[in-house]
Amino acid sequence: MAALLGIEGISVGYDRADVLRDVSLAVEAGSITCILGSNGSGKSTLIRAILGLTPPRRGRIVLDGADIAGLPTHAIVARGVACIPEGRRVFPKLTVAENLRLGAYRETREARIRSRMDKVFAIFPRLAERAGQLAGTMSGGEQAMISIGRGLMPEPRLLLVDEPSLGLSPLLVKENFAVIRRANEMGITLLLVEQNVRQTLAIAHSGYVLSQGRVVASGSAPELAQSAEVHQAYFG
Amino acid sequence: MDVGLFGQYVANGLMLGVIYAMVAVGFTLFFGVLDVIKFSHGDVLTAGAFAGLATYGGLQALGFASPAVQLLIMLLVAVAAMAFLGALIAKYLVLPLRTAPPLNTLLLTLMLGAALRECVRLFYPQGANPKPFPRLLPQDAVALGSFMLRLDNALLLLGGLAAIAAVHFVITRTKLGLAIRAVAQDAETARIMGIDFERVVLLTFALGSGLAALAGIMNGLYYSEINFSIGLLLGVIGFSAAVVGGLGNIYGAILGGFLFAGLQTAGAVLLPALLPQLPSAYKDVFAFAAVIAFMAWRPTGLIAEKTAERV
Ligand SMILES: Nc1ncnc2c1ncn2[C@@H]1O[C@H](COP(=O)(O)OP(=O)(O)OP(=O)(O)O)[C@@H](O)[C@H]1O
Ligand SMILES: [Mg+2]
Repeated sequence: MAALLGIEGISVGYDRADVLRDVSLAVEAGSITCILGSNGSGKSTLIRAILGLTPPRRGRIVLDGADIAGLPTHAIVARGVACIPEGRRVFPKLTVAENLRLGAYRETREARIRSRMDKVFAIFPRLAERAGQLAGTMSGGEQAMISIGRGLMPEPRLLLVDEPSLGLSPLLVKENFAVIRRANEMGITLLLVEQNVRQTLAIAHSGYVLSQGRVVASGSAPELAQSAEVHQAYFG
Repeated sequence: MDVGLFGQYVANGLMLGVIYAMVAVGFTLFFGVLDVIKFSHGDVLTAGAFAGLATYGGLQALGFASPAVQLLIMLLVAVAAMAFLGALIAKYLVLPLRTAPPLNTLLLTLMLGAALRECVRLFYPQGANPKPFPRLLPQDAVALGSFMLRLDNALLLLGGLAAIAAVHFVITRTKLGLAIRAVAQDAETARIMGIDFERVVLLTFALGSGLAALAGIMNGLYYSEINFSIGLLLGVIGFSAAVVGGLGNIYGAILGGFLFAGLQTAGAVLLPALLPQLPSAYKDVFAFAAVIAFMAWRPTGLIAEKTAERV
C-alpha cells in the first residue's frame, strides 16, 4: 500500500520551544493509523500541523506526493483532508443542519450535500430529529455526534480525528468507535488520536507513540499492544 | 400635537432609524468576524456620499440627464467603490493587526477615519463647504389627512428597508452568510471546515462598507445636502446603536438603529414640551444620555452576542 500521508522530519512549535521535534510518520491509504501518547505529548499539535493551523518550522508534509506544508488551511482541506477537532468545536449558535452543511463547505453540488446529510442522519438518527436545534443547546454526547457527522460530511480522503470520545459514556464511546470503523470501511483513511488505548488498538491497523514531541515507538496495532512504550506512555 | 406633525415625526424617525441601522449593521458585522471596532466606518460613509456626488457631476457633464439613470449609476459606483475601499482597509490595515492588541486597530482606524475626512475636505473641490445633493427622487407629495407623505421619503424608506432585508438574506440564507456566521463564532474551526478566512473577512468588510455608501447617499438624498463631516456623527450613532443592540448581532444592530432614532425623535418632541427654554437640538444629548444609562443597566446590549471583552 502507498502512503496517502507522509510526514517527514517536521518540527512544530508555538512561541519558542518546539513542541514536536523531528517527527516522521506515514499513513497508508485506506488504513486507520493511531497516534498514542500521554497528555501534552503533542498529538493535537501534530493534527494542527497537518491542517496548516500551526505550520511546521522544518520538514515536509506530503499528501499524495505533494508537499502541503505551508499551504493555507482551506487549500489543504480542498485536497481532501477533514478533521474532527479536539473538544468537538461545534458552532453553538448554528443549527445542527448548518453545522453539518459547513462540514461539506467545499462541496458545491446541493444534491451531494443532501445525500451526505441523509447518510449522517442514518448513522445518528438523533441528529435528524434535532436538525433545526442550535448546536450549543445539545448535550455533550449529541455535540460529539454533530462533530463526527460534520467530519464525515465532506467524504474526505483523510480524516483527522482528535479524541472524539472524551467525556462520553462507555456506550457512546463504543458507538463512536463503530462509526469510525464504518467510515474506514467506506474508504476513508483515518489518523486517529485517542485515549482509549485498548479500543483504539482494536480498530487501528498501525500506530505511533509520541512522548514529549518525539516518536518513541511505532508498529502494527498488535505489536503496539505488546509494547513497553505504550504501557509507559499511558500507565506510567 | 396634530396628526400631520405627528406623522412628520414618525416618518423622520423611521428614516433616521433606517440610516442608523445600515451603519450599525456594518459595525456589528466587522466586530462579528474579527472582534474589532473599525472607527473609520462613518468616514467611509462620507466618502461614499461624495463618490456618489462626484459620479453625479460626471454624468451631468457627459449629458446623462435622466434622474433614474443618474441615481442608478451613482449608487452602483459609490457602493462598488466603498466595498472595494472596505476590503482594502481590511486587507492592509485590519488583518495585519490581528495579532496586535485590539486597541491598536481601534486607534489606527480612528486615524484612518480622520485621514479620509481630511482628504474629502482638502481634495474635493471646495470640500470644506456643505454641498447641495441633487434631488433625484420624485418630489411629489400625497396628502394623508393633514400629513403630507413625500414620495421621495417613502421611496428612501423602502429602499433602506430593502437594503437591510437584502443583507439579512445574505447573512441568514446564503453560503457566504453561513461562512460569515461560522467565522464569527469560531474562526479556527471555520478554517478547518475549508473556509477561506481572509476571503470571508474581506467580503464582510466589502458588504458593510457598501452598505455605508448606500446610507451616505440616502442621507444626502434625504437632507439634499452633504458635508465632509456627516460620517462623524453617523459613525458614533451607528456604533452606539450596534453596542446598544449587542455587538455582533445583526438584529440587535437594526433594533439599536431604530431605538436611537426613536430616542432622538422623542427628545425632539418631549424636550421643548418639558423644558421650553431648551432648543430641540438637545435631542442628541438626550439620546446619548439615554444610551449611556441603558448601557449601565445592560452592559452587553439588548441581545448579548459575545462578550465585548476585547474592546
Ligand atoms: N496554542 C498553544 N500555544 C502554546 N503552547 C501550546 C499551544 N497548544 C499546545 N501547546 C503546548 O504544546 C504541548 C503539546 O500540546 P498538545 O495539545 O499537542 O498535546 P496533546 O498530546 O494533544 O495532549 P492532550 O492529550 O492533553 O490533548 C503542550 O505542552 C502544550 O502546552
Ligand atoms: Mg490533544
